[in-house]
Amino acid sequence: MLTAIREVQIPLLAAVLLGAFVAKAWRALRPQAGAARSDPAGLFPAHLRRPIAILVLSAELGLGLGLIGTAVPFGHPWPTLPATVARTGTALFFLVAVGVLNEMRQRRPHSGCGCFGELSGTPIGLRTIARPGLLCASAVATLGLPPLRMPSSPTEAELWLAVLAFELALIAFLSPELGEIMVRLGYSEPCELRRMPVGRTMSALHASSQWRRYAGQVSAGGPSDVWREGCWRFVVYPGYARGRPVDIVFAVYLQSRRPAVRAAILDADTDEVLGPTGTRQSAVI
Amino acid sequence: MRHLADIPRWCDDVTDSTSPTRFARRSLLKAAVLGWRDESDFSPIAMGNGDAGAAERSLIYTVTGRILDVSPQILILHTERGEQRFPLAASAQAWRGGPVSPAALRQGDHAIVRRRHGGGPVLDRIWAEIGRVTGTIIERDGPTSLLVDEGPAKGRRIVLIGPEAAGRIQVRFPRLEPGYLIDVIGHKHDGYLQALVPATSQPPYRAGHPPAAPMVSGHVPDPVSGTAVWHEPGEEPESLLGLAYPALDPETSCEHATSVAPLRPGDLHAVEGYAVDPHATGSGCVRLPYLSVGSLIRLRNDCAEQTRIVPVTSCGATARLFCDRCVTCGTSRRGRIADLTMAAFVELGGALEVGCFNATMMIGG
Repeated sequence: MLTAIREVQIPLLAAVLLGAFVAKAWRALRPQAGAARSDPAGLFPAHLRRPIAILVLSAELGLGLGLIGTAVPFGHPWPTLPATVARTGTALFFLVAVGVLNEMRQRRPHSGCGCFGELSGTPIGLRTIARPGLLCASAVATLGLPPLRMPSSPTEAELWLAVLAFELALIAFLSPELGEIMVRLGYSEPCELRRMPVGRTMSALHASSQWRRYAGQVSAGGPSDVWREGCWRFVVYPGYARGRPVDIVFAVYLQSRRPAVRAAILDADTDEVLGPTGTRQSAVI
Repeated sequence: MRHLADIPRWCDDVTDSTSPTRFARRSLLKAAVLGWRDESDFSPIAMGNGDAGAAERSLIYTVTGRILDVSPQILILHTERGEQRFPLAASAQAWRGGPVSPAALRQGDHAIVRRRHGGGPVLDRIWAEIGRVTGTIIERDGPTSLLVDEGPAKGRRIVLIGPEAAGRIQVRFPRLEPGYLIDVIGHKHDGYLQALVPATSQPPYRAGHPPAAPMVSGHVPDPVSGTAVWHEPGEEPESLLGLAYPALDPETSCEHATSVAPLRPGDLHAVEGYAVDPHATGSGCVRLPYLSVGSLIRLRNDCAEQTRIVPVTSCGATARLFCDRCVTCGTSRRGRIADLTMAAFVELGGALEVGCFNATMMIGG
């Protein structure tokens, strides 16, 4: 049992380190990456922040790859020194992280740890600090472990999977980022903020019953005005109705499927409303 | 008539001489097709686009013009209505590069004044030759001269910082270097602005990297709170009551505009690397619903407790770059929600030399 626990630590630690590296690198490379973000580099003077951030990224990448590269036998006899260095380095890295996060929690109680880039915006709590503590203990447990091997029996494989699942659940419990990931996966931009091409609005309008109802009165091939307010896009066509020039106004709700379409007709000269108008409830933008 | 094929090239601007009424009619057309959500709201249909509606959208407190003569008791302005005489209140305050007595104003100065009472003759505030530059520093020539890019719609301005103002400005703008933001108020001269006071504190990030706004679930909150600032008229009429909105619909508005003022010949190719297109930097740190020129916004000055319905008249994308707060009365929420014309800012009770007020806005009038 103890051996099984030790054996799953190396791939787990490597995955955490490389995941943190990718998340931080993604944030650094994004155009909106701002200095207003929070991470441990913010504890240092401005001129040291960039080197510190690069150092952290390099350490995560180097240790992650080092753990994987030294976990499998690649020589006879298998050299233990590189593996010991990588595993000790990992333990020290997470030990330092515990101290840094504790310091950040006291000095910047409202900022996130930045451990996984933009996903780590939740203020640092005890759970966030306990996570590197757990990972530090995991790294210590790998010291002296021989090269990784495949499980020798189905029973042993099941044991490994059970240990892995338990530890993943424990890390998930200690990770506020999980909530952020779930939010992002299920997030849909409000219609007021969603970009919607005019062409899609026109397609939706031309497929609507309101368009079929008023198309015969439209006197031009294209709209005279198109604009947007919040969730509605408005399209105005010139036309003729009851023997006088009119403006036919369509309002198309900005949603992908079966958008609501409303219409009204106004006298082009007097602005008198000749056709159906919307209801008060419909005006929510 | 504009056709669908032209839509991506549109650059809405209510000052567009070819069709200003097109934008003014939008609220009317919207009301016709959707109705209004509350009887107490300003409705062009209810107003019939008549005198009451016009009064609602015209300046009550504010007058702009050129000073013809001034004495301790009387100010004579040449306005768009011709020559107008205004008695000065005993407590009247004037600003011309700093607080001065009204008698210190000069003939020929361009002035914007505020009446003590709406529509009344007596003035209590006068600002003369006041200007503002807001944007990204793209070139620095020595410690006192900056070239600032104000965005695709406004072009570039030269800012000079005199020794008397350098300390005051550098406290709030420690990085007067290419790539960083600046927002200063000062004395307007031909071709440059003599910076005198900082209008905000410099954001710590580079101009192209404003922090992202938090995600919004459901609908965007209405009303929205934040900071309201002002801008110089540029090509707009000086007495325009309106605002530059930071989130115009990118599909039908100014997002595609690329009218940049011509560069000085020779030395500016390196400068281009610092110019920031605010349309390419995300939504800024406050999430605002997409609107268009002609949309009506009910804007409240939380400090002066004055509210007006103000139409969107131009693009204010540069405001997205500033993730700052206004501290005129308490601390506002982060982010600029409206970039008002000078006239609208004064009309809402703002002090131009302060640069901002804490504001709350409601979409749809």
